[in-house]
Amino acid sequence: MAEYTLLIILFAPFVGALALIFVSNRQVSLVRGVAAGSAFVTLVASVYLFYAYDPIKGGYQFIQRIEWSRQLGISLHLGVDGIGTPLVLASGILLFAGIFVSWHIKDRMKEFYIWILILAAATIGVFMSLDLFFLYFFYEMSVIPMYLLLGMWGSHTKKYLEMTDPDGLKLRDSVGFIFNFGANSKEYAAMKLVLFLSAFAVAALMGILLIYKFSGLNTFDILVLREKAHFSGPLATLIWLLIFFGFASIAPIWPLHSWSPVGHAAAPAATSMLHAGVLMKLGHFSIIRVAFEILPETTRELMPIAAVLCIFSIIYGGLVAYYAKDTKYVIGYSSSSHMGYVFLGMAALDYISLSGAVIYMFAHAMATGMLFAMAGWVYDQTHTRDIPSLGGLSNRMPFISAAFVIGCMASIGMPGTVNFIAEVMIIVGSWNKYPFQVVVAVLGIVLTMAYLFKMMRGLFYGSMAEKYSHSHDAVAVVDRMPLLIMIMVSVSFGIFPGHLYSVVRSGVDPLIARITRVVPVAEQPTHIPLASSPIAPVSAPHEAIAKVTPR
Amino acid sequence: MNFSLTLSASDLVLLLPELFLTVWLCVVLAVDFSFKRIVQEQLAYLTILGLMMTLACLAWFDMTGITGTLFAKMFVVDRMAIFFKVMILLATILVILLSIDYVHRFSFFRGEYYFLVAISALGMMFMTSANDLLSLFVTLEFATFGFYVLVSYLRDDMASNEAGLKFFILGVFAAGLLGYGISLVYGETGKLVFSDMTGANPTTGLVIGFLLIFAALGFKIGAVPFHSWIPDTYHGAPTPVTAFLSIAPKVAAFAILLRLFLVALGTFKPAWALLIVAASILSMTYGNIVAIAQRNIKRLLAYSGIAQVGNVLIGLAAGTKMGTDSILFYLLTYLFANLGAFAVIMAISNSLGSDEIDDYRGLNRRSPFLAFAMLIFLLSLAGVPPLAGFIGKLYIFVAAIKEGLYTLITVGLVNIVVSMYYYLIVVKKMYINEPLDSSPIKTTGPLRAVIYVGLAGTLVIGIYPQPFLDWAVSATLMFSNLLGPAASIPPPATPFGG
Repeated sequence: MAEYTLLIILFAPFVGALALIFVSNRQVSLVRGVAAGSAFVTLVASVYLFYAYDPIKGGYQFIQRIEWSRQLGISLHLGVDGIGTPLVLASGILLFAGIFVSWHIKDRMKEFYIWILILAAATIGVFMSLDLFFLYFFYEMSVIPMYLLLGMWGSHTKKYLEMTDPDGLKLRDSVGFIFNFGANSKEYAAMKLVLFLSAFAVAALMGILLIYKFSGLNTFDILVLREKAHFSGPLATLIWLLIFFGFASIAPIWPLHSWSPVGHAAAPAATSMLHAGVLMKLGHFSIIRVAFEILPETTRELMPIAAVLCIFSIIYGGLVAYYAKDTKYVIGYSSSSHMGYVFLGMAALDYISLSGAVIYMFAHAMATGMLFAMAGWVYDQTHTRDIPSLGGLSNRMPFISAAFVIGCMASIGMPGTVNFIAEVMIIVGSWNKYPFQVVVAVLGIVLTMAYLFKMMRGLFYGSMAEKYSHSHDAVAVVDRMPLLIMIMVSVSFGIFPGHLYSVVRSGVDPLIARITRVVPVAEQPTHIPLASSPIAPVSAPHEAIAKVTPR
Repeated sequence: MNFSLTLSASDLVLLLPELFLTVWLCVVLAVDFSFKRIVQEQLAYLTILGLMMTLACLAWFDMTGITGTLFAKMFVVDRMAIFFKVMILLATILVILLSIDYVHRFSFFRGEYYFLVAISALGMMFMTSANDLLSLFVTLEFATFGFYVLVSYLRDDMASNEAGLKFFILGVFAAGLLGYGISLVYGETGKLVFSDMTGANPTTGLVIGFLLIFAALGFKIGAVPFHSWIPDTYHGAPTPVTAFLSIAPKVAAFAILLRLFLVALGTFKPAWALLIVAASILSMTYGNIVAIAQRNIKRLLAYSGIAQVGNVLIGLAAGTKMGTDSILFYLLTYLFANLGAFAVIMAISNSLGSDEIDDYRGLNRRSPFLAFAMLIFLLSLAGVPPLAGFIGKLYIFVAAIKEGLYTLITVGLVNIVVSMYYYLIVVKKMYINEPLDSSPIKTTGPLRAVIYVGLAGTLVIGIYPQPFLDWAVSATLMFSNLLGPAASIPPPATPFGG
């Protein structure tokens, strides 16, 4: 049974979605039950996966390999390492929480759950794919559900981008000037998201096809390519750039971020949670899985690009978030700013910083999931996301406002939440290599504090407009549970990060050892054995400390 | 040349599917004439029965491995021909099912309609077996005659008449080019059979001759710059005929293109590869860009069809065994998605009387089933996983990248994104926009059957393509020894040792 864990995690949502097709839309509780049930199966299995993963053994575990196409050299090769495991867990938690956050959805509820289950299953599929084909397969598969979720259940943003005015179409952003993607911000955001992500995804596909051709191995299997394929020279640079920018668009790194905040703003709460919580991590994860694993040398040479771009991500996202007046824009830009930290952690190519980046992905999933869930709740109650017009809601919704404070604290990186650990690791780990970026990152934390506190004050404190006096707090168990789950996870890993840390380290160590130690192919005497537990070269004091940490 | 026309019994076996279908169609026609009161629906099922039995016969061929040539190699039955014949028969059966609810719109000759559809299919079956220049000409014209009538079957409809006229004039023109090309090629080589031409010298006359033949076939498949008849003909023709036109002649013409380019011209691959690359890039780009501006779903699918042909030509440009496999496989995925999409169009057109994309507003609220089916078909055409179209596109790209066709692949990948835009516009109308009139849309049994077949094909091939890939690969084994060293059988996938 245990060896099928990954298949259960992956296929439970698909089975749930399939079952929902045959359920009538009128049987509301049955629809909810099937959706929640399949999400629960995934959650339980991913919790089991997280604790059953053996960090001492390390490497890829729970491997499943099913031949899929002989002609193309594709197999459904699933397996998780220390990097994939926490992200699978985060997806499981956010899917389960997302089902409950969207508990009160009325319009076409069944279809909503079908698409959200497919979306979550596709993202989970990426986190466990050990085959380039299936990595792309699941990656691209997650895009279309986003289109429908945004378009069908999303909400318009009338005031902030001036997408529409009474006379017709007026102001749009740069892409919208060229293409008329839709009559309102919701359709516009959905179309922009799909086209943007697909355009960059096909760039990544080109990179994958080049890897396939020039490895000459006639296989898409990452583990085989990692061991046997060697790329060098301009070809390696080209492949790396295609892979990096192809996947970084979903992350989203600075110049490629513009689809993301409009997408967040248009999406319904549960979709925003999954979008910011796990979908954006597909980018970082795919870069780690493809570029770091298969092109370690080129990664070492070119990763400084990410170190440069992440500065803009952090500062630009933070500043826009500070001036934005729409709750979801604030959280959306804050997410794209925070993803800059992950890029910083990845760029430093250090044991501590990359571990920090992976833990940050997990931590950010919880924090941003909470914030989006609560922004969605406030929107459902007041039908506005305009911060200046809101205020004083803590009188009406004490639970939500308390949870919101915790969410903000987590997002800032307050000690006691897992975000703190991640941030400290990123900052400490990249100090040696990128001191300037670290200074920027620390300033970014201050900026985060500024805009989150500003939003918190604007929403929950001060005087309340009369028209919001009818709004309600989250009282029912189904409404409180998702928030409580995410708070609990964030705090408990913040206080007891031991297992999470050792799991992540077991995935990060061989990767960094490979990237920092690998010598150019021409000078390589024999094949360096990497599979057995790599010894981290002690080059900095903090690494010596890290080695003492029980694993 | 020595034509021995003495046929033995074993030779006749090779012709069995075609002979059987011919006889059966005569019976269908006789039944139509003799029983004036016969319900046309029964006639449709009678035709389908005949096509099914032909299909069974082909399945028997495929299983027992019956192959051979007839009439001094004019007519060849090999596994590729069988693959193409199965596709054509499948398309014909689905088209006849589509027609059942449409035929009442014809003011006359309702019974002959089925006969004409099936006789075109018979012509195309012959076409897939054509192995020399003469049989190429005869079968191609045989297959086209039925279509000339079918396209203008709505006699009182100006658009249908215009479509028929356009198709006829350009079709006859293409036939002229074909005849002229054949005469040039025969004059230069003195050979008629494709496989005898391999050693020919590339003289100017021969090159012009093959260019003319390619132009005529390009007209059949609707590749740019021979596409100009496609939009108007697709728009004006009766919708089931459009559906038929959008898949079957393309399939048959690709069978000939494969034989022509890979067998007869195998040695000149570097030269014609450029030609195919150009046609492919033009078709994909033109088809996709113009499709964006369309407001009518039939015209949209017409332009998207031009783009899809551009995709298939990538496989031909690769010119390898794997490229051939990918063409066969892609056409199979295209068949299910395209006919399924036309079934949805028919269902909507039957109840709304309109093919405008604007009338698809809120389809999700009016008929969730139709909207979902259309979503799946369009996404498969766009190439989104986990649907069949994605695997088809990927297979073609893999075949092409092995031959180093980087420009072509880049253009193809960019075009995926462009095509996604206009397919999603339809999805937007169906799912996101609210309906103007929310009365539910009813579908009839035969249309539902076609949609189910399309859905099953699209999803099954997308999720578990291995048997279909195997079938395509075994169908083109004949090409594995015809091509240069670059196309030799690839090494088996490296197993992961642990």
